[in-house]
Amino acid sequence: MALRKNVYRILEDIVGQQNISDEPVILDTYAFQWLAETISGTKFCSRPEAVLLPCNVEEVQAIIKACNRYGIRYKAFSTGWGPWNTVGGEGVIQLDLRRMNSIVEIDEKNMYAVVEPYVIGSQLQVEAMKKGLNCHMVGAGANCSILASATSMAGYGLTGIFMGYSNSNVLAVEWVLPDGEILRLGSLGSGDGWFCGDGPGPSLRGIMRGMIGALGGLGVFTKCGVKLYPWYGPPTTPMEGIHPLNGMPIPENYQAHSLTFPSWEALSDAVYRIGEAEIGYVMGRALPPGLIPVISISSAADYTQMLQMVTMDEFKYAIQIILGANSARELEYQKRAVEDILSETGGKIIQMMEEPSVKNILFRHLIKSEGISRVFQLAGTFATSLGAGTSWDTAVATGKIGEQLKRKYIERGAIADDGGDLAWGGTYQQGRFGHLEEIIMYDFQDADSLKGADEYVEESAQAAIDKSLGQPISIVRGMAEQFGPSSCDYHIWMKKIKKAFDPNTTSDPSFYIEPEA
Amino acid sequence: MILQDYRIDLQRCSRCSLCKWLPLSQIKSWRFANACPSMVWGNFHAYSAGGRMIAALALLDGRIDYTDKLVEILYQCQMDGACDVSCKVNRDLDPLEVMLELRAKCVEEGQVLPAHMVMIESLKSDDNTLGEPKAERGKWAEGLDVKDITKEKADVLYFAGCRYSFDQDLRKIARDALSLLMKAGVDVGISGKEEACCGGRAFEIGYRGELTKYAEHNMETWKAAGVRTVVTPCSDCYGTFKFHYSRLGQEMNVEVLHITEYLDRLIKEGSLKPTKKVPMQVTYHDPCHLGRLSEPYIPWEGIERKVLGQVIVKDPPKEYRRGTSGIYEPPRDVLRSIPGLELVEMERIKEYAWCCGAGGGVKEAYPEFALSTADERIEEAMATGAEALVTSCSWCERNFRDALERSGAKIKLYDVVELLIEAL
Repeated sequence: MALRKNVYRILEDIVGQQNISDEPVILDTYAFQWLAETISGTKFCSRPEAVLLPCNVEEVQAIIKACNRYGIRYKAFSTGWGPWNTVGGEGVIQLDLRRMNSIVEIDEKNMYAVVEPYVIGSQLQVEAMKKGLNCHMVGAGANCSILASATSMAGYGLTGIFMGYSNSNVLAVEWVLPDGEILRLGSLGSGDGWFCGDGPGPSLRGIMRGMIGALGGLGVFTKCGVKLYPWYGPPTTPMEGIHPLNGMPIPENYQAHSLTFPSWEALSDAVYRIGEAEIGYVMGRALPPGLIPVISISSAADYTQMLQMVTMDEFKYAIQIILGANSARELEYQKRAVEDILSETGGKIIQMMEEPSVKNILFRHLIKSEGISRVFQLAGTFATSLGAGTSWDTAVATGKIGEQLKRKYIERGAIADDGGDLAWGGTYQQGRFGHLEEIIMYDFQDADSLKGADEYVEESAQAAIDKSLGQPISIVRGMAEQFGPSSCDYHIWMKKIKKAFDPNTTSDPSFYIEPEA
Repeated sequence: MILQDYRIDLQRCSRCSLCKWLPLSQIKSWRFANACPSMVWGNFHAYSAGGRMIAALALLDGRIDYTDKLVEILYQCQMDGACDVSCKVNRDLDPLEVMLELRAKCVEEGQVLPAHMVMIESLKSDDNTLGEPKAERGKWAEGLDVKDITKEKADVLYFAGCRYSFDQDLRKIARDALSLLMKAGVDVGISGKEEACCGGRAFEIGYRGELTKYAEHNMETWKAAGVRTVVTPCSDCYGTFKFHYSRLGQEMNVEVLHITEYLDRLIKEGSLKPTKKVPMQVTYHDPCHLGRLSEPYIPWEGIERKVLGQVIVKDPPKEYRRGTSGIYEPPRDVLRSIPGLELVEMERIKEYAWCCGAGGGVKEAYPEFALSTADERIEEAMATGAEALVTSCSWCERNFRDALERSGAKIKLYDVVELLIEAL
């Protein structure tokens, strides 16, 4: 169903001829996605009817109003990585927010930044570091939109212990509602700037994004404020070593260690104690055993060799931690706290990871959030499973269950034999919440592997319901309906919200929810 | 390899968009975080390396057919390889090779640009892509008492390249560079009007046969002349000799050096002694073809096999070009050897350098895009506070000159050779 010519012209008048296209080659590059094969059986999902590149909130609003007037659905994305960014079917246009790419403001004194959708984590981070600040980034990587993570998506980040979670970092928001009205949330709503998400002014954080985010199904977010946190290092962070295995020299107010424990229980206790001690700048299972080699390899061929060189048992119950402090004295306190926690839980520092060049690479991975896309490198692609925002104890239980579930798929050769344990995540807000998601690596070009991966994701989702592990981080269509009945019927509320905010269902509901009938 | 050989890799693109950015840990500011001129110009995802990989897959699968837009997308790219460096931080993919194959397929199937056809016609008739008469090729060296290697032996062949040979604004640089070699006592000669194009630009725009033809011609000429070393002031030629000639699988039997490498060597040996002060703060632009694109092609033939269930490894292991072995220090060392001159760096340097905008047939087919790309680099150079932007490639020099003339930006432009001459 192509757009009617007059509608195309109306949209063209809004963004300009250069910023709209319905050329098949352009459309296909928006239909292609990671994990598309799990939806369509090919690498391509549905083609949008057209792609538009608006450059400001006025253009976004005009597009949305036109969509409401002419009965067209729209789907916006920022950096656009993952199948939830694709349109849900025919009759949907895609809004690529790439041209909205400014850091509007960094308020050093009040420690927040205001960003447009296409500012990526790396861009905000380097500008914040120049002012002694840093930003939270999701584990998906520093190539992802800061705004999208804050307003619209789920995703754990390893600075969570210090910087919390995306939904707690978002401040005031400029939001073009599904019907085209502009709503300014939080302090922005009362003309008081961007410093607060919850007032003075309307606070709709729960409706706007909840835990998971509306995934483009509830209008378009055009600017938002996000919290910034202290950065105790230098304003610029030159790398050393040879690309791509660069290391980031560890500034004097930081330390990086890998800690190992005798059991899941000891690890779990230690993580709680780290939270209670309110120490740690980055903390979590950044490198579960099967991923340890990836920090020292430049291609998949090196992986198996490196795997043989690593003593996997040491990493079985391991976490990585970065300590960061405002002073040498505070850093010393944190270091001693870690020593005490290790002593109390039977843990120790993994000496292999103390080698300076290895530590510097690890530090780069953790601070710069650059390495996670390596999970594509080994088997061609990956998927993740389980991983609710929950208590740390439940997160640990999730890790154990994930490992058990994976075993038979590894044994039948359907997914990569990563040792079974790729439970990735950590805690946020000083241990108040926990997150471990179970990653699988597989070859989507191998029918048996793809089938196995699909079956595993399905089985793990059912396990999450059966064992009350919470809603998984993996995003599939119909998820709310699947998990709602076991979670206070939240899907019913989502349907009501969708209907109230989007009376014409123009904001593509495919990865959010269909409105109440 | 042909495009079809990359089909599996095309599907493995995850659409992460890392090809659009500098490697993330190399980003130093919001302003200069981009790696891909094409993406900055075109904005739609199709203009990225990842987008072109998707386009290639869609084309192979018959989802799309050739349109003017598709051809425009494929050719609005300098083929500068920055995407390739960024992609390979975490992936075993070859986006630059895919884009080269895609252009070759276009040419094979008659999907060519008029501007590129003019270049190729000129190449066929006059051995250069600039539309200049072959008979005038050697004029740049008129008056220099230099050996003609078609008539007498010399250890070193000085290969000026098309741009330096015909561009009257730049001929002096070619002459100066040659004069420096002669001053240092190098036994050097030129081919004069018998010099022919390196064939690199033709290859980059998809005309593969032209590369083979000129590679064979040039290598035969060098062999017949008995030269041991070929020195070129043109980074495009240098990159072609190193990268594209090596893909043909023929032994070169000569040492190929860029002029900055040779001058650096002469300075370090004491044959050239920069003594005069050149009090100036400068910043150096790494030409793509001298930097990341000058690494030799690494042939690989093998199979993929699975280990650990589904981990895919190439057997034998495949080596990847990552841009780390480009020629980065010699031009900088020449500049550092000049008394009074201070070198300050831009944010995007060496394997992460932003392109000047001239390459890949863009200057000929899309001049506005070429200049826009140069403007971006000039802005980055000016952000350092340097008085001058220095480069070591005729194509970069030409494009920067044109951009500066248009914009009136207040920064001087030099070739490394020009500054060294001032210091001697």
